[in-house]
Amino acid sequence: MKGPAAILLAGGVGSRLNILVRHRAKPAVPFGGIYRIIDFTLSNIGNSGVTSVAVLTQYKPLSLMDHIGDGSSWDLSGRSRRVKIFPPKTGEEDWDWYRGTADAVRQNISFVMSAQSDEIMILSGDHVYHMDYRLMVSFHRAKKARVTIATIPVPWEETYQFGTAIIDDDSRITQWEEKSPRAKSNLASMGIYVFDREYLISLLTESKEDDFGHHIIPRALREKVVYAYPFDGYWRDVGTVQAYWDANMDLLESSSGIDPGSWKTMTNIYSAGPVFDRPPVSVSSLARVRRSIISPGCTIDGQVENCVLSPGVVVERGASVRDSIIMHDCRICEGVQIERSIIDKEVVVGAYTMVGRGDPKTVNVTHPEHLYSGLTVIGKRTIIPGGITIGTNCIIDPMLEPGTVFPKDVKSGMTITRG
Amino acid sequence: MAQVLAMILAGGRVGELDVLTFFRPKSVLPYGGLYRVIDFPMSNLMHSDIENVGILSQYRPFELIGHIANGEPWDMTGRHRCAVILPPFQGRGASDWYKGTADAVYQNIDFIRLNDPEIVVVLSGDHIYRMDYRKLIEFHLEKNADLTVAFTRVSPEESSRFGLASIDEEDPRGGRLTEYREKPKNSQLEWASLTIYVFRTELLIATLKENAASPSHEFGKDIIPMLMEKHRVYGYKHSGYWGYTRTIQEYYRTSMDLLGNTPKVDIRSWELRTNMADSHIRDRQPAFVGPLASLEDVFFHCGCSIRGRVARSILFPGVTVEEGAVVEDSILFFDSTVRSGAVLTHTIADTDCVISEGADIGDPGDGLTVIGMETTVPEKVRIRGGVTIHPKLKTGSFSKKEYLGGEVVQ
Repeated sequence: MKGPAAILLAGGVGSRLNILVRHRAKPAVPFGGIYRIIDFTLSNIGNSGVTSVAVLTQYKPLSLMDHIGDGSSWDLSGRSRRVKIFPPKTGEEDWDWYRGTADAVRQNISFVMSAQSDEIMILSGDHVYHMDYRLMVSFHRAKKARVTIATIPVPWEETYQFGTAIIDDDSRITQWEEKSPRAKSNLASMGIYVFDREYLISLLTESKEDDFGHHIIPRALREKVVYAYPFDGYWRDVGTVQAYWDANMDLLESSSGIDPGSWKTMTNIYSAGPVFDRPPVSVSSLARVRRSIISPGCTIDGQVENCVLSPGVVVERGASVRDSIIMHDCRICEGVQIERSIIDKEVVVGAYTMVGRGDPKTVNVTHPEHLYSGLTVIGKRTIIPGGITIGTNCIIDPMLEPGTVFPKDVKSGMTITRG
Repeated sequence: MAQVLAMILAGGRVGELDVLTFFRPKSVLPYGGLYRVIDFPMSNLMHSDIENVGILSQYRPFELIGHIANGEPWDMTGRHRCAVILPPFQGRGASDWYKGTADAVYQNIDFIRLNDPEIVVVLSGDHIYRMDYRKLIEFHLEKNADLTVAFTRVSPEESSRFGLASIDEEDPRGGRLTEYREKPKNSQLEWASLTIYVFRTELLIATLKENAASPSHEFGKDIIPMLMEKHRVYGYKHSGYWGYTRTIQEYYRTSMDLLGNTPKVDIRSWELRTNMADSHIRDRQPAFVGPLASLEDVFFHCGCSIRGRVARSILFPGVTVEEGAVVEDSILFFDSTVRSGAVLTHTIADTDCVISEGADIGDPGDGLTVIGMETTVPEKVRIRGGVTIHPKLKTGSFSKKEYLGGEVVQ
């Protein structure tokens, strides 16, 4: 069968990820050691035989564009395969930022019109999951649907974050609620749509509405042509610091259902990092490594337990890292102790500093809604001095240079900024 | 810098590497938990800004062709760059299989002329080392040499396997070659040839043409002595690490030089490149270390799953060590599996081997045990040190419960 063309909405800000999205869009946030969040969707695309992809970017697209490159990492380059990046562009009136998901697709309607496919998939680059889109398209065709939305049951207390569907016996959606505080169903939209191409064009050209969930879907619903594709695999919207940490930790538990290896998740190993290839991991006779994901190029002389380590991390002798996510090329110096922390790329933690100890209930002062569960986050390329302590729920800004004044005791809940 | 073309002699199958080269030339022997031996000269060339390379190959070149690809892993693509595999070919006359190292280059004089370099560097694809060839070439030009050969110092007891020379003491970097002997017995000469040759192009071509008429065609045995009579032949002294991979013992020792708290060779700082798009490497998840794993002095890469005990060993991408398995002093190539309760000691297992539950393989101190690729060793079998096991064997090929040193399972 001829597969669909895909539009990947990769503009998400993901502001609840706090300093992890200070310099990159949410889809570009590193995940699981060597991946970025968008790799899961791009790999699903590549593995489902989708050969034509438009990536719509908006917020801080640089590292994303770098990462996607020519698409060859996901087998999306060649004579008949392509991935194109569409940043927002100047329209007839002024600079038109995308005002919503439907608006973003409308502004690139020429891609939809010229697509050599009967169906268009609309995807987002914000989620960690594995799906064969071919099965969803087959479902769409079998139901003679004009719109199909992938759905998954979510805990009732989370329904307010999602569009939710009530379906009939034939999986046809009869009622739709968008981010309702009192949803009548917990069957949530995964933000994955299959549209008949012609129908999508008519929906977008007949109105000026901005958002799929709020406007377009309710309109299609009235014509009784919208179906819910049931999905029951692993799927996470890693939109909060805690959810991001949880999903990374799921990698350490084989029963969790997340498995990038068997999912054939692909990534671009060239886009960021050194000009040479990452060498093998070296674990010395001084080290102790347990229950962890370790990426190439790591050098470990200390203790690592329940961690996800990205490439090039150095853990010096006498250092101990537990229950943490450490990103590319961080140096954890001698005698350092780290617990329950997320440390962005190229951070140096000075000798004998302790990170992440304290009362997990002391929420962050500046961002209580982001850091409240006892995790501490350190921003990219910051240099942490030696011999200090940093508590829980702390935010240490990116790019803090050696001259930055740190209190000797960064108490739980504190935020350290450049100023 | 002068226009330089490199020719890598990568074709041979070495008898001494036995089962490890049944299906691949020695130049693509896996090394160091990720690399192939030829990555060392290729990365050296890249770091030396030499971007035109011909690779001479005639033994089972499939894996080599795939590995070199279009030269992209070493940035040798683009308008003026190339990495080309040069297989033997039939010409209008009686061209044939390469009859020796010098003959291999002789048969590709057209390729040299096409590239039109001022200097040709001839390398071999079976050594582990880091060298900036620019310094060697600079030395060659400064001395106005016709041929410069790189040497390293060896102890007399291991010297009889090399081409040996004495070098004039005119310069700390090297000097005129005063004596050269190919694989002499009981020699007091201490400089061993690294089989790295720098030629002026015209002299190389003239010399190869002259040599073509004689019965033997080797750079060491024939070309160096020939040129020493009338030309300026220099020796360049290399002082860094030099690792051999020509016998299984040498290969094992050179591999173990990577390990330890102060390894003899810190290849992690060598900025090496390999073909990361190789299906053995790409699209693998990062390594997983299990809750009961014990690791001590280990190299490993993507796709490994380590749940047992591993000490003083090198694991290539995709190796699985199950819970309760023990791997010590061993090297496991791509995608090999050691099942629960199996013990592997002082052993090299090639790609896609399976060591079944409870098998006990190798002995510390005794000879190495080597297992060829895609072989499955059955449960609970005892295989002592020094046993050679052929590739592609299934459990039914093992008729005994125990194999002793020196035995060959085939």
